[in-house]
Formats: sequence, structure tokens, C-alpha cells
Amino acid sequence: MKFNTLAAASIAALTVAMPAVAETTVKIAGFGASSGVVGVFGQNSSAAMQAATETINAEGGITLANGTKAKLVTEYYDDRCNAEEGISVLRRIATTEAVVAVGPTCSNVAEPLFGILQAKVDDAGDTGLQFPIFTDVAIKGGLAGISEWVFRNTPSEAAMYDNLFGWLRATYPDAKTVFGGVEEDFAHSRFTWYQVMKVAAEKHGFEVVGEGQWLLNDTNFSNQARAMRRAEADIVAISAHPFTTCGMLREMDRQKIKPQVLVGLTSSSSLETLTGCANEAEGLIIPTSFAPVNDAAKFAANAVAAKGGALDLHSAAAWENFMILRDVLNASAIEGTAETIESDRRKIRDALAALKTVEGLLGTNQRLPDGEAVKPYVFVGAKDGGWSVVHNPGS
Amino acid sequence: MDYYFFIDLIQSLVDGLLFGTTYALIGIGFTLIFGVMRKLNLAYGAAALAGTYVGLAASLTMSLPPIVVFAISALGSGVIGYIVYLGCFRFTPASHPMASLLASVGMLLFIDELVIHLSHGMPYPYPSALRNAELTFGELWIRGDLLFVFGICVLAMGVLYWLLYRTPLGLATRAVSQQPRAAQLCGIPTERVNALTFVIAGILGGTAGAMTAAAVGVLSPVIAMGLTTKGLIVVVIGGLGSIPGAIIGGLMVGAAENVFQLLRGVTERDIYVMLLLFIFLTLRPGGLFGSTAGRD
Repeated sequence: MKFNTLAAASIAALTVAMPAVAETTVKIAGFGASSGVVGVFGQNSSAAMQAATETINAEGGITLANGTKAKLVTEYYDDRCNAEEGISVLRRIATTEAVVAVGPTCSNVAEPLFGILQAKVDDAGDTGLQFPIFTDVAIKGGLAGISEWVFRNTPSEAAMYDNLFGWLRATYPDAKTVFGGVEEDFAHSRFTWYQVMKVAAEKHGFEVVGEGQWLLNDTNFSNQARAMRRAEADIVAISAHPFTTCGMLREMDRQKIKPQVLVGLTSSSSLETLTGCANEAEGLIIPTSFAPVNDAAKFAANAVAAKGGALDLHSAAAWENFMILRDVLNASAIEGTAETIESDRRKIRDALAALKTVEGLLGTNQRLPDGEAVKPYVFVGAKDGGWSVVHNPGS
Repeated sequence: MDYYFFIDLIQSLVDGLLFGTTYALIGIGFTLIFGVMRKLNLAYGAAALAGTYVGLAASLTMSLPPIVVFAISALGSGVIGYIVYLGCFRFTPASHPMASLLASVGMLLFIDELVIHLSHGMPYPYPSALRNAELTFGELWIRGDLLFVFGICVLAMGVLYWLLYRTPLGLATRAVSQQPRAAQLCGIPTERVNALTFVIAGILGGTAGAMTAAAVGVLSPVIAMGLTTKGLIVVVIGGLGSIPGAIIGGLMVGAAENVFQLLRGVTERDIYVMLLLFIFLTLRPGGLFGSTAGRD
């Protein structure tokens, strides 16, 4: 009895004294604007990344080359939507144990930031950074072509608006004219109006009868709305972010401008627009690559909401990126040690480059050779203070 | 000249003048602090915005008429103005003017970040008064809400004038402004006067912030930088320390902004406003109503 008590005590003491076996972890860094006026984008992406990490870890984590399991960890770095800070943040991430990074938020950060990466893999003469990036938010088209280390899971706005204006042509046969409103000093808004919306509208036989321009910080939209009122366009397309979209919509309401159709920018299909001007935005139609239309999307939306974020087309891409990276990490047999970090990063890059299709929240996403993606999308409309699907081109 | 162009020109001028009153209010706040303390408070625009958010927070938590929301915004900004005074000016030695200037820059960034953090950078609807009212004169029309903004701004300026020229507080303020040492020897509590000046300027800033948000109908942190920049341009054009100068400067900037936008487009608009600023700085550095400065 005495011996048994002694043995039990010894085992208990040994159990307590024995160091816990360290859990292997693999880090995916997130970065983007989580402060500043567009900080809500980064905050939502960060919440989506945390929620996705927890979901993946709850399912057992990822499998390393030696067959052991590792947990994912993530950390979000703030670049404040500033190009210099973005470059500095990426260089800092590259010195950590992160094997891949998801970001950035802003296209004006993405463009110069991708420029510091090695343009072509295995180019010995190019001393650019060799670090894989899988972009979730920065949406300006064609940026992945800058470096073979860049992959993007952002929707193709060209395809979405082309389809949208085609659908408008069929749904509103009486509509003939379009008036465009654009936030001139924001890269994404400007690009989307001049290179995407306007082109798509004209392609589908609409006549662009005028344009109104304003700046991101503007508070007076009377001149632009007056030109819009005089143009009497059937469709008004606003390529601007929520603050000025709301400012313009309010001014349109004041000047009693009631077009048949209102079209908005992809980035405005968010909670922000509805928080700012739900009444004036009623009827606003926007193409988006996310809407909680199926079980997977609803599950992701709830998981992200539990982390204090909101799932929209941008943060949904962050969620999808983590799920895609889980599969990539499992398939690419990384070792997950400090000594193998460079080869692990290369394996991830090569595995991302080899992807042809991946499963996203709205269905199958196509991966293109240049690192871009073609994603399923729907058209949502603002209705009764929420977004509801008005048309699903894939159905 | 095309008929519609002429109408647009007049309409732009009218809208610009009405919007310009908010710039004038911000300019008066800047000039009041500079005139009394000879110090520039660069956190002023951010404090005005933060005060506007105080009013917004009140309107989101309970149903309030717009005029009460505006009053809470103005008072909130007054309180924040006092905090800025304590943080950046009260304990900073007068012999180190750069220290208080830079402290106010730090406070500007701090308040801005705090507002963005608390609001998540989201735009929120801000109440407007007389939103659907308008006065029509043929092709020209004046927005009722802008007219209300104009009226509030004129009223605020009137109250300020009454305070400065018809009350003992105004007398003390002007005395501290002109001869701080002599005012102190006469028994005027200069620190209290300075603090009150910050509060009054804060109330004016909060009124301007509230009126700007009411004119747009939406409040967002992006407004802060515009308020600061426009306020500084207004005081340079009007003359630092001159209240009539700030009023005229504000109306000029508002009108110039709108007219240049019509004539040259939004991308060139600010170039001409900055050119106006440059012309004043080089040809009349004292501004419209300031003293003429000597030259090299």
C-alpha cells in the first residue's frame, strides 16, 4: 500500500515535471489596412483569417512532410493602406517564420509591393524578395502579372461588370443611357469606372451621356449631381467607396434624381454602405463574389461574425485563401522547420502556381496561369437595409 | 456664354458660399486661438470631428431632434477643446512654441486614430435639418439644409461677436490677446481665459463639424483632414487673428472651390485653391485683414 502510494505520487510528480511536447506550428501572415479610413477592410480580413485558422485547427490542422500534424497560427500586420509601410511590413514578415502571406488591402499598396518581389522564379539575376503572397482584397485588375510569387483570389471585375451590363440590357430593354460617377483619387474606383464599367456599358450598347468626378474626402456633390440630373440617364453607375457613395446618393435624393437602375462599385457591397445610407442606397445593384447563399457561406459568415468581423467579398476571399492554403500545405509536403523555411516557401509558391481550380464559398474558382482567379459571383441589391441576391449568373 | 453654363456658374457660387460658412467657422476657431494665445492648434479640426461624433453617438443611442444632436456635437467639441488645451498648451513652456505646435500635431493624429478605431472607419448617417426644403428662383435653387447651415453659422458668428465685444469675458479675452502681461497685472486670470478660449473655439469647431456632416448627411473620419486644411487656408487668406478675415476667407474658399470645380474639374480644383493660398502668402502674407508684413 505504501509502495503503491509512493509509486502513484512519483508518477504524478513526473507527469507534472515533464516538459510538455512543443506543438509544431506553421504561420500564415496576414497584412493590409487595419487602421485608417479603410481599416474596416483589414479588420474584417483579420477576423476571417482568425476564424479560418480556428476552423482548420479544429479539424486537426495540417500535415507536414514527415506525416505529423501541425497547427496553423496567424498574425495580422497593419500597413495603413500606405505603400511604403506595406513594403516595410512585407520585409518584416519575410524575416519571421511565416511561410506565406495573405494581403494587402489596397491596390495602391499592392502594385509597388509586388514590384519588390522576384519577377521570374529562378532568375539568378533578380535579387527581388522570394516570398509567396496570396492576395485577398486589392482588386485592381492584372496585378498578379508583376511577379511569379504573387497569386490573387480577387474576382475579375471586368467579367462581373461585363455580365452585369449584359444582364441590364436584357432586363431593362428601355434603358439606353448611363451616367458615371467616379472617385478620381482612388486607384480602384478610377480604374473600375474608366477601364471596366464604362467599357462594359458601351460594349452592351449603352450610351455614356456624362461623368461626374469627385475626391475621396469630398463633402459637396452638388455640381456633379446637377450634371447628372440634366443628363437624365436611365442608369447611374457610381464607382466610389461607401463614404462618397453615400454622399452622392444623398445629393441625388435631394435633387430628386431617380434613375431606373443604380449600379455600385464591388467594394461598396458591404455593411458600411448600408450603415451610412441604407434608405438612399435602396435598389443599388452591385456584382459581388460573396453572398451567404449556401451552407458553406453561411457557416463562414457566422464564424467570422463570432470573431467580430463581417464577411463581404473581400474578407470572404481571406477565408477562402486560408482554406486553399490548407490544401496547398497538405499537398506540398513542407517540413515546417526554421532550416527549411526557404524551401517551404518555394514549395508553397509552386503548389499555388500549379492549381487549376479550387473550391470557394460560392462554387469552383478557376486559377489562371498568370496568378489571377475567375470566381463565381452574384448580383446583389440593397433592399430593406440588407443585401439580397437579385440575380445569380451561375444558376 | 451658354445659358445653362451661366446658371451653373451662379448655382456653384451660391452653393460654394453656403458651404463656405462652415469653413469660416473653422477658420474663426483657428484664428481665435492664434489671436489670443499666439499658438497654432493643429488638432483643432480633429477635435471638431471628435465632437461631432459625440453628437452622433448620442443620436444613435436615443432618438433626438437634429438641433439637439448639433448642440451635443458643439458642446462635445468644446470639452475636447479643453482637453487639447490641457494636453498641448497649458503645461508647455511659452518659451518653446514649437513644442506646443508639435504636441498639437500629435494630438491631431491621436484623436484621428481614436475616432477611426471607435467608428471602425464606417460612415454613419448624420441628421440634417430642413433636408427636403428648398427655395427655387427659376432655374436656381437653394437647399434648405444648406440655408439652415448658413443660418446656424451666421448665428454662431453673431454670438461670438457678442461674447468678444459685449461681455466681460470678451474684454478679458481681448486684453489677454493684446497685452498678456498687463492683463495679468490687472488681475485677469490668463490661464482661465485661455482655457475658455479653447472651449469657445471648440464649440465653434463642433458646430462647423456638425454642419459639414449635416450638409453631406453622412459622417466619416475622412472629414477631419479637410477641416484642418481648409481652416488653415481660410486663416491665411483672411489674416491670422482676424475674425472678419476668417469669415471672408471662408466664404472665398468655399466659392472658389465650387467655381473652379465647375470651370476646371475636380482634379484641378484644389490646384487653384492652393494657388490662391500661395498668392496670398507671397503677395499679402498678413492676409486680407492682417497687418502688412515687411519684406526681405
